[in-house]
Amino acid sequence: MLKKIIDEVKSLSVGYYILAVIAAAGLSVAAYRLYAGLGTTTNLSKAFPWGVWISFDLSTVAFSGGAFTLAALVYVFHLHELHSAVRPTVLAGLIGYSSVLLILFMDLGRWDRFYHFLIYPNLNSALFEVSWCIMLYSTILIYELSPVLLKNSRWSGAIKIIEKWTIPMVIAGVTLSTLHQSSLGTLFVVMSPRLDPLWHSMLLPVFFLISSLAAGLAMVISGAILSFWIFKRTLAENVLAELGWFIPWILGVYLVLKLGELEITDELHLLFTSGLHSTLYLTELGLLVIPIILFAMKRVRHSRGWSLTGAMFVLAGVVLNRFNASWFAIKPIAGEMYSPSWMEVAILIGVLATAVLAYSLVAHYFPLFEETVQVTRESKIQYPLPQSGD
Amino acid sequence: MSETTSNKNDYGFLIDASRCIDCRACLVACSVENEVPMETTRIWIQETGVQGEFPNLARYSAPYHCMHCDDPSCVSACTVGALKKDDNGIVTYDQDRCIGCRYCMYACPFQVPNYEWKERLPLIVKCDMCVSRLGDGQSEPACSATCPTDAIIFGKKSDMLAEAHRRIDQSPSKYINHVYGETENGGTATFYVSPVPFEDLGFPAADESSPAYFNRLVTHGTPTVAGAVAVGLSSVYLTIKHHEEAMTQIAQNEHPAVPDETESAPQLAPMPQNKPDMPQEVEGQEA
Repeated sequence: MLKKIIDEVKSLSVGYYILAVIAAAGLSVAAYRLYAGLGTTTNLSKAFPWGVWISFDLSTVAFSGGAFTLAALVYVFHLHELHSAVRPTVLAGLIGYSSVLLILFMDLGRWDRFYHFLIYPNLNSALFEVSWCIMLYSTILIYELSPVLLKNSRWSGAIKIIEKWTIPMVIAGVTLSTLHQSSLGTLFVVMSPRLDPLWHSMLLPVFFLISSLAAGLAMVISGAILSFWIFKRTLAENVLAELGWFIPWILGVYLVLKLGELEITDELHLLFTSGLHSTLYLTELGLLVIPIILFAMKRVRHSRGWSLTGAMFVLAGVVLNRFNASWFAIKPIAGEMYSPSWMEVAILIGVLATAVLAYSLVAHYFPLFEETVQVTRESKIQYPLPQSGD
Repeated sequence: MSETTSNKNDYGFLIDASRCIDCRACLVACSVENEVPMETTRIWIQETGVQGEFPNLARYSAPYHCMHCDDPSCVSACTVGALKKDDNGIVTYDQDRCIGCRYCMYACPFQVPNYEWKERLPLIVKCDMCVSRLGDGQSEPACSATCPTDAIIFGKKSDMLAEAHRRIDQSPSKYINHVYGETENGGTATFYVSPVPFEDLGFPAADESSPAYFNRLVTHGTPTVAGAVAVGLSSVYLTIKHHEEAMTQIAQNEHPAVPDETESAPQLAPMPQNKPDMPQEVEGQEA
């Protein structure tokens, strides 16, 4: 048995080893951070008590929104043709949420008491709501993924029972996602004295929810195209095209709401008078206008290269939004600024490497891509190369 | 606008910047009383720096600590309810609950909560009006008891506010006509009078309503949103399912022999023959 495992490990490609080394290095720094405390390992301060970890958490949760968006489209709205994307996306979501939980754990000064949010509720706190929803939703993602994990095991009999309850679980999962995606925006409502008015709004929960739909779909699209190169499996072109079709609509509503809110609260002039913050906001707008134009074109939706380009713009725009709201657009106190320490960055890289490693291993050993399209040598020979995606 | 309105028992401070001589005895008293190092006292000094032209120079200072808001943002924000407003209007901090998420530090419009950055398992640092001292029957917190010039005085909140206005009314030339803390953040239990504008002392300009109120507007909507989403999704699911089943039924009734097309289960995606845009990278890999 042990020999079998060793042989198996030996048979893995060098990429796994590289990831494992990076992950181990990053997680060692994480262990040191838990031992030494926040003050000695991070650049966090009284003026900036939250840093790059929170920005990372917000971005990753938005990306992982693909799992609930897709589950809603497939199971609730009966768009069965998108079903082939569900498993890879649910796994990506689960791993995304797990890395968020890991980083949140790093971020707790009293990590030894992390379970306190379970026993000491404050129903007014957005962070309380977020913690509960993320915990429950991760459980549901495990549930949704369990048929894949159990399929070739001796417990495969349980799959039938599990699948019987899929619809209620999906509806619970989508509800929880709606709550915590929006609550992450609510987090900043109480921070009005610190957050630039360009970003601060009573509609923050709505903005965060809508942008997570776009980011989630963009993640599904780019994930499918990337796994085309890495795992030689991908989604059928018509599935990609249908996913891309939603993006201009979602982002359109998002931008209209955002600019409309600025107009109503009489803050539109800040777009041009807030110096660096104006630049950041306009960059955000630009990054999201480009994919609206791109995905509105049928040619783009049916081309892998172009779809990937468009999806990358969406992801960049949403990441910038989350970093702005939690870091760049926070007003400094007495000119004090924040930039992360090398340990903060190293821990992030370690967690990311762990996440990619976990995804790859599950993809390697479990029937994750069963319904996806297998890419073969013949397909390469038989068909001409793309006229490039850019 | 506030959920927690002030009541008759509330304690309060009155701090007079014209009386503060920056001796920092209050910091020492705070450090001793609460057994905290001098770097993390719960009170500190805000000052103007030297103002004016020689020889008419002036420098003003004032001790600064938790304002004990009527509707505190930190209490609203705290994940685990470690921050609470007690019956005497004191915003207390439960060290044994705190998980160190530091949300209160960002939520506070006065940038009051500090953190024990040097500790391995740090806690929040915040004034609690020496609540344990008051519980022991003493009449006031360490800082006001120690202050040699009575720049900090402590008592019933309503008395403190009345005294603040009395001082301004009595010497309108000595003080600017603004009691800081009376309306800031929807009202607080700490009142300041000063000869110079508060922004010169580095005090933040807080709104007249507490962000905690707006926070509650949103978070109290949560159960409604959750219910609406769950019910909405269920009805969408059932409606479409019903529609699909009805279509199947009709199809079967009209063309009993024709195989059912509407009940399309998850379909296997088509093979890549339809894809003309296959990138180069797939070359020569395993099937």
